[in-house]
Amino acid sequence: MWERIKNWLEIRVGLDELIKTHLTEYRIPKNINILYTLGFVALVAFLIQVVTGFFLMVYYIPYSGTAFRSVQEIMSTVPYGWLFRQIHVVGSSLMLVVVLLHTLAVFSMGSFKKPRELTWVVGTLMFFTTLAFCLSGYLLPWSQLSYWATTIATTLPTALPYAGDLVAGMMKGGEQVSGITLNRFFALHVVLLPLVISILVGLHLFLVRRVGISSPPSGKAAEPERPWTEYRHESHPEGPSFFPDFVLKEMIMVMVFLAVMFFIITFLPTLLLPEEANIPADPFKTPAHIKPEWYFLAPYQMLKIVPNKFLGVTLQLIFLLLFVLWPFLDTREEKDLLKRPYLRLLFFLSLILWIVFTFWGKYS
Amino acid sequence: MKRRRFLGFLLTILGFTALGSFVYPLIKFLSPASGKAAAQKVTLKKSEIPAVGEAKEIPLNGTPAILINRPGKGFVALSRVCSHLGCLVEYDRAQNRLICPCHGAFFDLEGKVISGPPPKALTQFPIKVESESILIG
Repeated sequence: MWERIKNWLEIRVGLDELIKTHLTEYRIPKNINILYTLGFVALVAFLIQVVTGFFLMVYYIPYSGTAFRSVQEIMSTVPYGWLFRQIHVVGSSLMLVVVLLHTLAVFSMGSFKKPRELTWVVGTLMFFTTLAFCLSGYLLPWSQLSYWATTIATTLPTALPYAGDLVAGMMKGGEQVSGITLNRFFALHVVLLPLVISILVGLHLFLVRRVGISSPPSGKAAEPERPWTEYRHESHPEGPSFFPDFVLKEMIMVMVFLAVMFFIITFLPTLLLPEEANIPADPFKTPAHIKPEWYFLAPYQMLKIVPNKFLGVTLQLIFLLLFVLWPFLDTREEKDLLKRPYLRLLFFLSLILWIVFTFWGKYS
Repeated sequence: MKRRRFLGFLLTILGFTALGSFVYPLIKFLSPASGKAAAQKVTLKKSEIPAVGEAKEIPLNGTPAILINRPGKGFVALSRVCSHLGCLVEYDRAQNRLICPCHGAFFDLEGKVISGPPPKALTQFPIKVESESILIG
């Protein structure tokens, strides 16, 4: 039976050739390390979000009068509803962790350098889209936590002159966060952002495949580095095969991801769903000591210490722009961070600063 | 001009026209309704008026506001929306000030910024004190 199906496909799409070209005879650098699996783990994390998001939509009612109650019912009445919501909530944070680690790994190994600048730019856009997913999804439970976190986030653009108020108004659909905002964020979360990230994922994978996987700067490379003066595919004829060698490593990392996720769901179920997440939104009462989710704590704290709101928001926009355009600013050929003392200093300083601001924002 | 070049030029113009005629309606579609309803006023009866040193939270045209009866200075009506990031300020009776729970900013009872990151004072609403009531807005 299986052979018949294979034959049927072989005649129509040339399955054997496809498998050989893209899996079994597709070679990867022989000095590749475990950090290279993070992109695949992020993709799996995204697919988990798609599946659990669909399950939640079966019961969720995107209307401000019923949204909170429908989420509470998912958690308490719907069989295993709590499990799918917890996977969605914990999975979203872990997906962001994986995307961050992937970005740090790519940066530290210099894999963003020529000819992979476009791959980096598309990757950073995917990172921002993931943040937009988190932000838009955060409002949907219509809890005190989600309502006020969204109020803060949607007020940020007002710091910018001219277009700031227009952008904030378009996000909120009014002067305050309301049911109109909920509908907008729902449409964004389930229609527009999935479409955008699917296009970006496709483009990212195309670029990775088209240019070829980069060799890490450490270890012995399969072939010597040659200057990139024209297009060429970076092949690694001496390296191991993508399937099954590398796919096995990727699957092990996926299992680690799932283990961490289920550990949090089982032993730390309130880690990402604190008390305010179980109180319905009250537009007339800001909870004391309101804090955004962990990934927005650093910018939140920065806005607190920078006395001028415009300056605070502009500084963050400049950081983001530098982050996206970094491959065009750092054009030195040396990829090894260990051989770049100033870049190494900048890298660790930025990382430490982000961690300090995150904890400062959490406990201030 | 060659035919192909002319067609390319025409296509560019038509493309930008099509884009413009889509983007403009989109911005108008997503922007909040501009035709504001007539400003609503709120009347507080004698029984609802806060005593000296007390405050009353009221919704005014959908905006959370507060009426404070300041010791020795009379009534003031302020928006509770912090000018920094939109959180709602709380009245601190003991310290005679308003506090934002988000970034810990302080405002005096005129709505002016004492400390913290807010760029401007709280919006003040006009009030009319009558013998048996107070008209706000």
